[in-house]
Amino acid sequence: MADIHAPSVGLPLRFILTGLAALVAGVAWLVARPIVLSGYHYSPEVVAVTHLFVLGWISSVVMGAIYQLVPVALETRLHSQRLAQWHFVLHGIGFVGMVAMFYIWNMKQVGHFASALAVGVGLFVYNLARTLARIPRWNVVAAGIAASLGWLTVTVLAGLYLAAAKCWNFSPFNPLAQMHAHAHLGGLGFFVMMIIAVSYKLVPMFTLSEVRSASRARWSLVLLNTGLAGVFVGILVSSRWKLGPALIVAAGLAVYGREITAILRSRKRRSLDWGLMYFLTAIALLVPVATLGVVLAWPGLPTTLRTAQLESVYGFLALIGVVTFAILGMLYKVVPFLVWYASYSKAIGRHKVPALADLYSPALQAVGYWLFLGGLLVASMATTLSHESGARTGCALLFASIVLFVVNLFKVLAHLIRPRLEPLVLTPAVAST
Amino acid sequence: MTAAPNEETVRETLRQVVDPELDCNIVDLGLIYGIAIDGSKVTVTMTLTTPGCPMHESIAWGVKRALLNLEAVQEAEVQVVWDPPWTPARMTEHGRACTGIVAR
Repeated sequence: MADIHAPSVGLPLRFILTGLAALVAGVAWLVARPIVLSGYHYSPEVVAVTHLFVLGWISSVVMGAIYQLVPVALETRLHSQRLAQWHFVLHGIGFVGMVAMFYIWNMKQVGHFASALAVGVGLFVYNLARTLARIPRWNVVAAGIAASLGWLTVTVLAGLYLAAAKCWNFSPFNPLAQMHAHAHLGGLGFFVMMIIAVSYKLVPMFTLSEVRSASRARWSLVLLNTGLAGVFVGILVSSRWKLGPALIVAAGLAVYGREITAILRSRKRRSLDWGLMYFLTAIALLVPVATLGVVLAWPGLPTTLRTAQLESVYGFLALIGVVTFAILGMLYKVVPFLVWYASYSKAIGRHKVPALADLYSPALQAVGYWLFLGGLLVASMATTLSHESGARTGCALLFASIVLFVVNLFKVLAHLIRPRLEPLVLTPAVAST
Repeated sequence: MTAAPNEETVRETLRQVVDPELDCNIVDLGLIYGIAIDGSKVTVTMTLTTPGCPMHESIAWGVKRALLNLEAVQEAEVQVVWDPPWTPARMTEHGRACTGIVAR
């Protein structure tokens, strides 16, 4: 993913390593304080942990990867690497400050740090918009990324509105409804939309397949965008009609699932590596998440403790099950690429260089995969039942999986310091010249 | 004076260039479309498994380096083309066996 189109590998790696640090801290927090999952979700601590995940982990990694991926996948150049570097600084200051201030519930300071973060997001969106503006071929991948950037902008504006409304108490909307609406903009609009958009490029590329129906791919985006706009308004005004747009979102995800299945069925590379297994499992987890979303949008659903816990499971499964699992899978593809490029691309043709799969341990990937799935299952059940020690057990499994992921990633990064170059083995035909 | 390289020599040399994602050399992957030799200049026409392949530059660079490793080659040119598109039918049996890619 690093070639003449892409920025230097240091830029995405900086975002990715920052994100990983936030992920480790976030999951460790859940192990130490499982009440974040087993208790009611509208509390300063839950809001702080959630922003550690969505800004510190997910946004950092997604933004870093997108800086690398967009220029290469869409065959253009990043508009400005300097703006991206400023974005990194503002993003780091913004999310660390926001998490700390959410924790002590100082909304005025949240607003200040959120403003720094918002300026960074502005630079990110501007940089990517200028990059997208000059792509040679506009396609479903570019359209999905553009939509995702649009939703990111709206998410940040809605977040600033929320912080301001807390400080000056002017909003006519229910605070909890505002928070849920904001969360859907970010989770579904930015993260899931981005995952779907890039998957239309990456899944065919890694499986040696192709998008089977461009119109089906387009429809998945149209339905998602339309449904999300309705869901946002429906949640914000606490409408009983939000089930309609929720069903449109579910239909969009179903169309997406149908297209991914078709892509996989026509793949020429039969075996799926663990990176893809992580990613595709995350995609499959959209089924329970979408089902829960439809159930929670049902008109007249009673507001009970169990309903509130189901909302927590919905958010947990979306952010950790779908988004985090998908990102871990893609990082198993992206980071080896970046490291390989930095260490070996100039040695190809002169030395025997390792393949990407030689940079990490598939055994650690496999163990990490099952630990993650087990952790998700246990933590989700415990959250539903408000079972604190069960939530801790589930999160401990997730933590173990993350540790294995970090160990594996450092095995990859070690090639930056100590590349393994071997002499070329000359075949008899070559040796005779 | 060094004798001009022949096509077989060039082809064997290109087997040293491996696609790091698929862990298979570019000859057995069927990525080489043509080899033109004009004295000490070699021009390789090739493709990649997918347009927008992230390894585009690295592999093209590797091909050039590998060619220039040959004593008889003074100038090397690599042309990456997308038409006709690559299909697994272009792979050798060895390529299919080591990557698990099916011809369809």
